[in-house]
Amino acid sequence: MSKQGQGYHGVILDIDLSTGKTEKKPIPIEDTANFVGGRGLGMKILWDRLKTPGIDALSPENPLMFMPGPLSGFPVPSSSRTCVVTKSPRTSAIASEYPQASTVSYSNMGGFFGPEIRFAGYDGIVITGKASSPVYVFIDDDRVEIRDAEGFWGMGTDQFDKKFTEELGDRRFRTCYIGPAGENLVSYACIINTAARAAGRGGTGCVMGSKNLKAIAVRGTKMPTVADHRRFLEVLEEARNGFKGTESTMRWRYAGTAGALPWSSGRGSQAVKNYREGTFEEIDRIGYEAAREKAWIRDFACYCCPLSCKKSGVVKTGSHPGLVHDGPEYETGTMFGSNLLVSDLGGLLKEIFAGDDYGIDIISAGNVIGFLMENYEKGNIDKAFLDGIDLTWGNVDAVLKMIDKIAYRDGVGDLASQGVKAVAEGIGKESHKFAIHVKGHELAAWNVHVDPGMGISYVSSNRGACHLNGRTLEEQNSNAMIDSTGVCLFADYGFGEMSLQNLLTAVTGIEWTKEEYLKAGERVFNLEKMFNFREGFRREDDALPDRFFEEPLTMGPGEGAVLDRGEFAAMLDEYYEKRGWDPKTTKPTKAKLESLGLSFTI
Amino acid sequence: MSKARVIQAEWQNDTVSFSRRDFIKQVAAGGGAAIILGNLGVLHLSSVMAEQAVTYRMIAVDLKKCTGCRTCEAVCSAYNHKQKVNGELLNGLGNPHLTNIRVHGFNPDVDIPAVCAMCLDNPCIEACPVKPHPETGRRALYRDEKTGTIRNDLERCIACGSCAEACRAERVGIIYPNPETNKPERMCTLCDGDPQCVKHCPYDALSYMEIDLGSEFYGKSPELIAEELARRWYAIDGKEGKNE
Repeated sequence: MSKQGQGYHGVILDIDLSTGKTEKKPIPIEDTANFVGGRGLGMKILWDRLKTPGIDALSPENPLMFMPGPLSGFPVPSSSRTCVVTKSPRTSAIASEYPQASTVSYSNMGGFFGPEIRFAGYDGIVITGKASSPVYVFIDDDRVEIRDAEGFWGMGTDQFDKKFTEELGDRRFRTCYIGPAGENLVSYACIINTAARAAGRGGTGCVMGSKNLKAIAVRGTKMPTVADHRRFLEVLEEARNGFKGTESTMRWRYAGTAGALPWSSGRGSQAVKNYREGTFEEIDRIGYEAAREKAWIRDFACYCCPLSCKKSGVVKTGSHPGLVHDGPEYETGTMFGSNLLVSDLGGLLKEIFAGDDYGIDIISAGNVIGFLMENYEKGNIDKAFLDGIDLTWGNVDAVLKMIDKIAYRDGVGDLASQGVKAVAEGIGKESHKFAIHVKGHELAAWNVHVDPGMGISYVSSNRGACHLNGRTLEEQNSNAMIDSTGVCLFADYGFGEMSLQNLLTAVTGIEWTKEEYLKAGERVFNLEKMFNFREGFRREDDALPDRFFEEPLTMGPGEGAVLDRGEFAAMLDEYYEKRGWDPKTTKPTKAKLESLGLSFTI
Repeated sequence: MSKARVIQAEWQNDTVSFSRRDFIKQVAAGGGAAIILGNLGVLHLSSVMAEQAVTYRMIAVDLKKCTGCRTCEAVCSAYNHKQKVNGELLNGLGNPHLTNIRVHGFNPDVDIPAVCAMCLDNPCIEACPVKPHPETGRRALYRDEKTGTIRNDLERCIACGSCAEACRAERVGIIYPNPETNKPERMCTLCDGDPQCVKHCPYDALSYMEIDLGSEFYGKSPELIAEELARRWYAIDGKEGKNE
C-alpha cells in the first residue's frame, strides 16, 4: 500500500460553481490504489457523487472532472493526457425506467493541461454546480478563483485562445475551454485546448456549457514526489529509449493519425458515405501525402511526447487558401472528408477549422451530416427540412452551412445538435436502420463491415460507440488502464513489456505486476459497467445499426462484406462470458464484482 | 563574401549567409544592426568590436524541428536541480517550473524554446550595479571565462533585478528573479559541458555549437520570433487567416 504523498498529491480540487466554494478534498488512499487516476479515479468519484440513477447529465449535480494520472507531470514519454469524466449527455437506453438515463462519459485530451494540474498541486479538478452567469476558473497553485467570463461568451475557440492568453498575461498558464457549441448546449460539444486539441467525444463541452463555465486556466510550480527516486530515473531512461528511432515513432511523425487514411480506405474499413461503403476512391486527395504537399507546415507534440502526431498547416493552394489550421487527422479527415465524400483538401480543412472553432465533436458532427445527406438523397427529407441547404454529397459549402446551424442550434440545426439518434427519430421512415450510433453515441471513423472486432469495440464500450475501447477484453482492460495513468494510448507501443508497470511501481510504491495492472483496468471497466447497468442499460442496448448486417459493401477490396447477425451475437456471448457477465442482461456477476473489490456497487 | 566562417540562419529557406568579418565590419561602421535584420537588438558595441572576440559554445535551436514537447524543460530542470535521496545526489524529477530553457507556445502553432543566448556584449552583466571585484574584476553577475556561461555570485548579489530587466528589454528575456530572493536565475549552465536538453531532445532540434551571431533570430525575444515565424510560415497577412 502506498504511503500518502507518493506519486500523488492526495488532493482533489473541488469547485462548486453554484455556491462559489472551492476546496481541497483529500482522496482516500484506497481509491488511488484501486482506481489509479485519470479515467479510473474519475469513475470512482462519479460513482460516489451520483448516488442515484437517472440524474440529468446537464443538471448542476453532475460533476465535470479533469483527471490527469499518476504519471502526469513526470517527464514520462507521452504522459500528457487529461481524462475528462462526467455523466454523458449523449447516451440513452432503450428500456430504462429513468427518462434521463445515460452512460458514463470519458474523453481524453492531449496537450499540457493534465501535467499542469499536477504542477498546481492537485490530482484532479471536480466541478459541480452551475454559475449564474458565464465564468472561468482561475487556478494558480493554491490560489483558486471563479472569475467573470461574460466578455468571452460567444467567442470561437481560436480567437478565445488568443484573447484568454492576453487576459492571463502569461503563456505558462495552460487552458481549456468551450466554443459557441458548448455554450449553446449542442449535445456533442467538446472541450478544446491550444485551439487544436479536443476532449472530443461524449458531450463533455455540453456539460461544461450547462455549468456556464467557459474556461479553466491552471498554472503551477509544484511536483508530486515518487516512492523510489532512483528506480524512477532508471525506468524513465529505459522508457525514453524505447521510442528512439523506431519505425512506429517515425511513422507517427511523418503522417500522424492521417497515416491511417489511405490504409483504412484500402482495406475497406473507413467510414464512407455514411458508412455505406468502406473505401473512398478519392482518398489520395485528402490523405497525408496530399496534406504534406498542400498544407502541413510543422509537427507539434504534447507534453514530453516523442511522436508529434499533430500537424499544423496552412492551405497553400486550391480552395480556402491561407486558412491556418491543423489536420486532417484520421478521424477528422474521415468524418468531414470521406464520410461526406468531400475530397477537396482546402474545403476539408475549412470544415475542420469550423468544427474546432465552434467546439463540436467532429466525429459526431460528420456522422450526423452524413446521415442527413443520405436522407436528402433518398428523398426522406427535402430542402425545406434543411432550411434551404442543398446538402448533397461532397458539397463543402453545404457542410459549412450545416456546421453553422448545428453550433447555433438554428432551424434544422436544433434537431441535428441532438445527435443522429434524435435526427432519425425526427425523420422516421425506417431511417434508424442507417443511423450509425450505439446507445445514441455516434460511431467514429472506422467502419465495421470488414471488421467485426471493431463492432465489438463499439457495442461494448461504456461511453456508447467508441473506436478506442478495444476489440477484446484484454485490450479493453489495458486501454482503461492507460487512460488512468495519464499516458497516451498512441504511445503504448513504445513502452515495452513492463516499462509502464515499472514506472507506476517506482512512482506509487505499489508493486504493479502485469496481472495487477490488467486487473485494475478490469476494475475500472466493471465500475463503469455497473454505473450503466444501474441506469438501466441492458444487452439490447449493445447493438449495432442494421446497415452492417443488411447492406454489404458494394465496392473496393471489402466488396460484399457484411456482418452476420448470428455470428456477431455469438461473438458477444463469448465476450460477456469471458467478462463474467450474464449474457442475457450483461450484468456483472456478484463473484466477478467481489473479486475486483467492487462489492460497493452491488 | 569574406572567407571567414559562413553562418546560416535557422531555417534553410531563409538562409542568411553572413561572415563574422562582415558582421564586425558593419557593426564597427555603425550600420550593423540594421543590415543584419536587427539580429542583436540594441547593440552594446564595445564587447563585439574586436575581431578576435572570444566565441563560446551555446545552445542553438532549429525552430523548424522543434515540436514544442518541452522535454528540454524537464531534463534541464532534472539536471540542474539535483536532489539528495538516501544520501545519494540524483537528478531531480524534472519540474519544468525550475528549468532554464523554456518553450513558449503560440497560436498559430509556433513553439519557441528560449534559452540564455550568452550574448557576447552581455547587457545583463553591464546592468549589474555591483562594483567589480578588485582581484577578479567580476561584478555580482559575471561570465565564467571557461564556459562562457553567465553566473551570479549569490554572496555579492544585491537582488536589484537590473540584470533581468536588461535581458527582458534587450534580449531573450530569460533571466528571472527568484520570487523570494529576487536574485537572478535561469541562466544556462551548459550542464558541465554536456547540455541535457541537446542530449535528450527527441527531435534533434537543439545543438551545442559556437555562438552564431549571423543566425537571424539570435538573441531575440520569443514574442518577436514567433510573430515573424507565424507571418512567414502561415502567410496570414493579406489572406484568409484562421480566425476570419
